[in-house]
Amino acid sequence: MVTAPDVVSRREFLGKAAATTAAASLAGSGKVFAMRKTLRILKWAHFVPEYDGWFASAAADWGREHQTKVVIDKVPVEGIGAAATADLKSRRGHDICIFPWPPAHFYQHAIDHTGIYQEVASRYGAIPQLAYRSTFNPQTKQHFAVADFWMPSPLHFFQDYWAQVGMPLGPVHYGALRSGGRKLRQQLGIPSGLAFSATLEGNVTLHTILYSRRAWLLEGHEGVLFNKNAFAFEALRYLQALYEESGTSEQLTWGSAGNVRAMLARKTSSTTNAISLLRTAEKQDPGVAGQILLQPPPLGTAGMGVTALPHVTNCSAVWRAAANQDGARQFLADLIGNSRQGFEKSLGCNFPIYPKTVPDLIVRLSKDAQASPSYKYVELKDALHWTPNLGVPGFASPAYMEIFTSSLVPRMVQSVLKGERSATDAASVAAIEMQRIVSRWQQA
Amino acid sequence: MKTIPKGAARYVIALALLALPPLAMPGPAAAQDVAAASAGNFNPPPCDYSDTFYKDNGLDPTQVVGRFGTARRTGPPATGNQVNWVADSTCATNDPNRRNFRILATTGGFPDDGTGSPNDFISILGFVTNQTAFETTYSRGVGSQQITINGSQNPRGIAAQDVVSNFEAYALVKQRLPNGVFATNPCQADMASPLAPATPCFQLNNVNTVFTPNLRQDWRFASNRNAMDGSDNNCISDDPTVCPNGVSDSPFGYFCDDLLGMWIITYVWYTVDPANPGPVCGPVLQAIAARNGLSLDGSPIIKTADETNNQVEANGCGAEGQMALDGSDGGAIWLVCPAIPDPRNGAIARDAFLDQVRLPNGAPQNPQMTANFLSLQRTGQFPGGGNGS
Repeated sequence: MVTAPDVVSRREFLGKAAATTAAASLAGSGKVFAMRKTLRILKWAHFVPEYDGWFASAAADWGREHQTKVVIDKVPVEGIGAAATADLKSRRGHDICIFPWPPAHFYQHAIDHTGIYQEVASRYGAIPQLAYRSTFNPQTKQHFAVADFWMPSPLHFFQDYWAQVGMPLGPVHYGALRSGGRKLRQQLGIPSGLAFSATLEGNVTLHTILYSRRAWLLEGHEGVLFNKNAFAFEALRYLQALYEESGTSEQLTWGSAGNVRAMLARKTSSTTNAISLLRTAEKQDPGVAGQILLQPPPLGTAGMGVTALPHVTNCSAVWRAAANQDGARQFLADLIGNSRQGFEKSLGCNFPIYPKTVPDLIVRLSKDAQASPSYKYVELKDALHWTPNLGVPGFASPAYMEIFTSSLVPRMVQSVLKGERSATDAASVAAIEMQRIVSRWQQA
Repeated sequence: MKTIPKGAARYVIALALLALPPLAMPGPAAAQDVAAASAGNFNPPPCDYSDTFYKDNGLDPTQVVGRFGTARRTGPPATGNQVNWVADSTCATNDPNRRNFRILATTGGFPDDGTGSPNDFISILGFVTNQTAFETTYSRGVGSQQITINGSQNPRGIAAQDVVSNFEAYALVKQRLPNGVFATNPCQADMASPLAPATPCFQLNNVNTVFTPNLRQDWRFASNRNAMDGSDNNCISDDPTVCPNGVSDSPFGYFCDDLLGMWIITYVWYTVDPANPGPVCGPVLQAIAARNGLSLDGSPIIKTADETNNQVEANGCGAEGQMALDGSDGGAIWLVCPAIPDPRNGAIARDAFLDQVRLPNGAPQNPQMTANFLSLQRTGQFPGGGNGS
């Protein structure tokens, strides 16, 4: 993951936000800006700095066209939840908050975004499944956010490493990830590099592994399903074996993008991530990039097939308290119309929610100017088929997203991997915590 | 637990045969068996693929273990005087992607459509035991065009391994050891389930373990065999008005993408002894046995994905796994095993034989499968003109 140089910490952000608010108040008192609106956007810092540069420029252009001053504040990806909470508490914060995941647990503070989807439907078609199930609340019958792009989570692996253990095409199922990973650590001293820490990568990776082994967390109607069958125990024991036989203790302590940095240093043999990893490698060290191949996620068990949750589901929420709701709605609708540029400026990381906005996606994946070989990214051409929404088999519900953003799953897994709890106990404790979260949201 | 009543098999088959017209006198030559088909028999029977077709689709034919037409002419699944394949000059004529060896051994199985109907028929042409069998580079000129594989990817940008690993064939091998002990895990350590002790274990260390005599019940094949016209309710649109329950299937269609008809083998086993399943698994196993009967090692027969996943595995009574891709486990990782697209109207030749699990007395474990096969072979239709369910 690449972090933008102008990313601010949460503390800095809060200070900046206050300063910005104060400045705007001052500006608003002057006649020059008396007729000018302001649109304040809080967003997570994209992994590809070029995207954020383009976003700022596009937003400024949009502002000129709509006589609006656009203010953008960025926070590190792991800090966006806390920043949004602080934003809401201040009551004088941003109009739009852009999350890398569905902000379902903020639904009470967000407007109904259905109108935005309706507006773009005439141009790009009906709301796609991934967006629908990521931003719709079946209880309120409203969309708590609008999604414009997502990032698939393919497996990245070093072809040269895996060739040395007889798997030059990579591990196509989880059993091979384990057996090949063990041989790689034994023979080359190179551990596997899946993220197990309380980060975005760790959450996506572990939620994916649980889901692909049918250890579902919540049922469609929001009951806790986790640990009510044998799949949770089995999945935790799989992770334990994977970690003990092929892992490294660093997997438990990596901060944001730690798995990416380990791959870039060729310290690990494989990981799951957005392709920002490979893009960074292409920029930093083409030699390293040349050895990294992509493949769809490993084949799951219990009939789950090939599947992985999205690394990012970019969701924008307009707050009910927003001063410029109309401008915010228009901005987001227009942002979807810019998905093609977003795809390009993100170096292909941002897959459009609306396929019609980048109709030649597969051609682009087939012939990538940066990739070596040029068709490397075509492994992602069917990514939409193997990518369900966060919250699957249900919607991205408030309870599920609280489970996700509170890193309950990484904490549970770590307790097993560190030997603090048995798989049975860890699953049981986690299920109780999940039930507590679900019950609280049912009463909300 | 329920068992198949004595004589039931003979009864079902007899009923089926009574409904069939007399069998026409078969011709002496293999090709004649096919050519003698009536005008309504427009589906040719299965043959092995040509070397070129294997290569064009990303698989090195020299690494297909036990390839029909080259090996395994006799022996399982053939018994007695049977042969698994015959030379037949009509194969390449009917389909230029085939070579002139017609397959007689026709393996029956359960398609994963939830019905548990024994109406799927396949040809196990061979086995793949190592990832290296998939080509990484290949090129062949066809007129002004080139068929190329670069970096394992075909001109559509798809690696053969990725395609075929979307399609799972479920092998259920015998778990009862020669000493009578019911082993609850395979001996392949990486596959062993944490739900049961690692030993005693049953071996999967060579391709013979998935030969029919070593199976406890017939095969099951995964459901993601998408109909190209969507008639199987396969939903691959991301438009919620089209697919209200979400994208539900493999990105690949079996008959339109997996042109070699390959499957990755998912081994499924019980992690409890059916004779002593315990309070949780006891009712689960009893319910399945009551529906389906018992397999050759005394465990309940599993016919559907629901039984596998939501009943056996969800309750901690069974597990599944696949072989290591470097061949170190020794057994079959993938099958080259094309399903017969439509087994009616001539696809089951008159000299073909059914490869299915049989009871110790020689009777078929699944008589309806036998009845389906015989009806298809003699009339070109499922019994009663139905679909074999």
